[in-house]
Amino acid sequence: MELSIDRLTKHYGSKIAVDCVSATLKKGVYGLLGANGAGKTTLMRMLCAILESTSGGVFLNGKDIIEMGADYRNVLGYLPQDFGYYPGYTAMEFLMYVSALKGIPKSIARKRTVELLEEVGLGDAADRKVRTFSGGMKQRIGIAQALLNHPEILILDEPTAGLDPKERVRFRNLLSDYAGDKIVILSTHIVSDIEAIADEVLFMKKGKFVLQGSVPALIKKAGGRVWELTVPQEETRKWQAKSTVANLRHEGQQAVLRIISEHMPDERAVPCEATLEDLYLYYFPTEQEGV
Amino acid sequence: MELFLLEHRKLWRKAGTKISVFICFLYVVVFGSILSFQWFNFGSKVNFTSSNFGKNFDGYTAIRDRQEYALSFGGVLSDKSIQQIVGDYQRMESADAKKAWDLTDWMIINDWLGNLWPELQEAGSYQVGISYFEPEKLTDFYGRRQLVLEKYLENNNQTGKEKEYLLQIDEKVIRPFYYGWIRGWQTLLSITIDTSAESMALFLAIVLSTLFAGEWHNNTSPLVLTTKNGWEIIAVAKIITGLAFTVELFAIIAICDIASQLFFMGTTGWDMPVQLIKLTAIAPMNMLQAEIYEWAFTLLGMVGFAGIVMLISSAVKSNVLALLLSLAVVYVPTLIDPYLPCGLQKALSLIPLVGSGTDIFRTYTFHIFGKYVWSPYLLITVPVLIGIVCMPFVVRKWSSRIKA
Repeated sequence: MELSIDRLTKHYGSKIAVDCVSATLKKGVYGLLGANGAGKTTLMRMLCAILESTSGGVFLNGKDIIEMGADYRNVLGYLPQDFGYYPGYTAMEFLMYVSALKGIPKSIARKRTVELLEEVGLGDAADRKVRTFSGGMKQRIGIAQALLNHPEILILDEPTAGLDPKERVRFRNLLSDYAGDKIVILSTHIVSDIEAIADEVLFMKKGKFVLQGSVPALIKKAGGRVWELTVPQEETRKWQAKSTVANLRHEGQQAVLRIISEHMPDERAVPCEATLEDLYLYYFPTEQEGV
Repeated sequence: MELFLLEHRKLWRKAGTKISVFICFLYVVVFGSILSFQWFNFGSKVNFTSSNFGKNFDGYTAIRDRQEYALSFGGVLSDKSIQQIVGDYQRMESADAKKAWDLTDWMIINDWLGNLWPELQEAGSYQVGISYFEPEKLTDFYGRRQLVLEKYLENNNQTGKEKEYLLQIDEKVIRPFYYGWIRGWQTLLSITIDTSAESMALFLAIVLSTLFAGEWHNNTSPLVLTTKNGWEIIAVAKIITGLAFTVELFAIIAICDIASQLFFMGTTGWDMPVQLIKLTAIAPMNMLQAEIYEWAFTLLGMVGFAGIVMLISSAVKSNVLALLLSLAVVYVPTLIDPYLPCGLQKALSLIPLVGSGTDIFRTYTFHIFGKYVWSPYLLITVPVLIGIVCMPFVVRKWSSRIKA
């Protein structure tokens, strides 16, 4: 199975949201990283065939997904960024309704719904109205509905938003179990989630893919650009102003700064092991630069 | 089928749907029918000057008394029976005016007398004609009605072929007229059913405007649109749900209204011609046929209106905007109607629920491809066709990816 993105472009008037991106996605988990407004959600909506591109296309095994219509939607699972629900429905009713939308026979749907509610930790809340759920619970039912039809292509827009650390771990495990021979695309701001589960990461900036590769390969790229510098506390502001500080911790009267820099920032700085988050900060040192 | 049942259940589970149907029921059935029959329209008057609400809560018995009194004149309307009706009224009025006003159809009869025997009116008299017209001079009822109808058409500039066409329709009116208590049927056919249609339009718009737009409101549209059945099939299921709801709302209101009517009025007078309500009406219908026409007009108008509301709901993303536009379809033409030329008024009346089922009492015509068509024929067919034409566009609008 192969999902090809071919020179996909989306304009909103004069604003370019997605700028001629191309990629070929095979089985695996793809993490989409980028600042707010980088074009991730627009790209995901086009991948879901609910937003028309200005030019270019998306092809599943060589077939245009727009022309595939229901056949494409049949193999698709999608969790939108602002996941909506029917407030008066219980979790069970909501998933049964989505199952019908997905064309899953009732008998199979019931079994699958019970199974998924257990998997996302909502087994005890099956008969509770969705409107009474916490943000994390709503997000979990959103993840469950995306998985109902065993999708070959799973697109998750900010799936871990609102989940507490324990829930995030549960989600990561669920996704890792599920991925197998599927194509999973997820976008998140939580870099550690991507680091933990993505096979490949796509960095998006100003509507374009600026960097792409496996997590170790990308981390390698950040090698030699991460430094640890111990300075007196009164110097921290100066360093924050003149360089990208990934982390700051206080040790007595001293402050230990984690600095992302092409060159050794100071004679006192010592190189240290890079993470994906360091690479993210290297590419998007400020929020505006991602857009 | 499963999706339709789920959509249908979803619609009825909304608090807005339940509240709308309940208020509609209260207003149309409880207030507009039950209380109207028992109290403020047909209850006996407390005194001469009392308003509509200054009546006794005795409509049920008062209606039976009036029906019995009207039937005492033999059941068939002839010159002789008209003379008896007027004579009896005058005797009763001089003995007990309140009773005469309560028991008889004096307003309707007086209207006939004024139209058919205008020469008997005394200039400057403070009394209404029925109080002083000499009964024995009330002759040639059917001949005079024919003359009045012809004059009425001429006054409306309905001459030549149009007049001929309308008079041909009138020829089918069965004569002599069966006579009984008229005011109950008059209220039912001129006000009750017409008001029901107007009210149901409001509540139908409130409920159906959320059918598609509600998915945007709940932010569930991306979810629905990315499912296998989320485009055409769900749109069709929603359309069937909208139509089913329309029929259900109609059935709830119409069945309860008719049950109330049967309880209070019974079936007496069903075979009276509608000309007793308005002499210049040309509809060859009795009261029952007219009632069937008006309910059918309401149902078909509602189906047509449902189609328009669903199209609006699928085309916009806001529940409020969908509701406002839907209401505008019905109420804006009604508001601007008096300021429009006659031709445009007639054209607007073809919009679902903008026209009125009471056109059976009028002599309006449409001039189509050189032929005259009496307005009730078009008013009952065109609105539902408009609704049907909207439906493919509803599916298309909903499935339009560009909105997402």
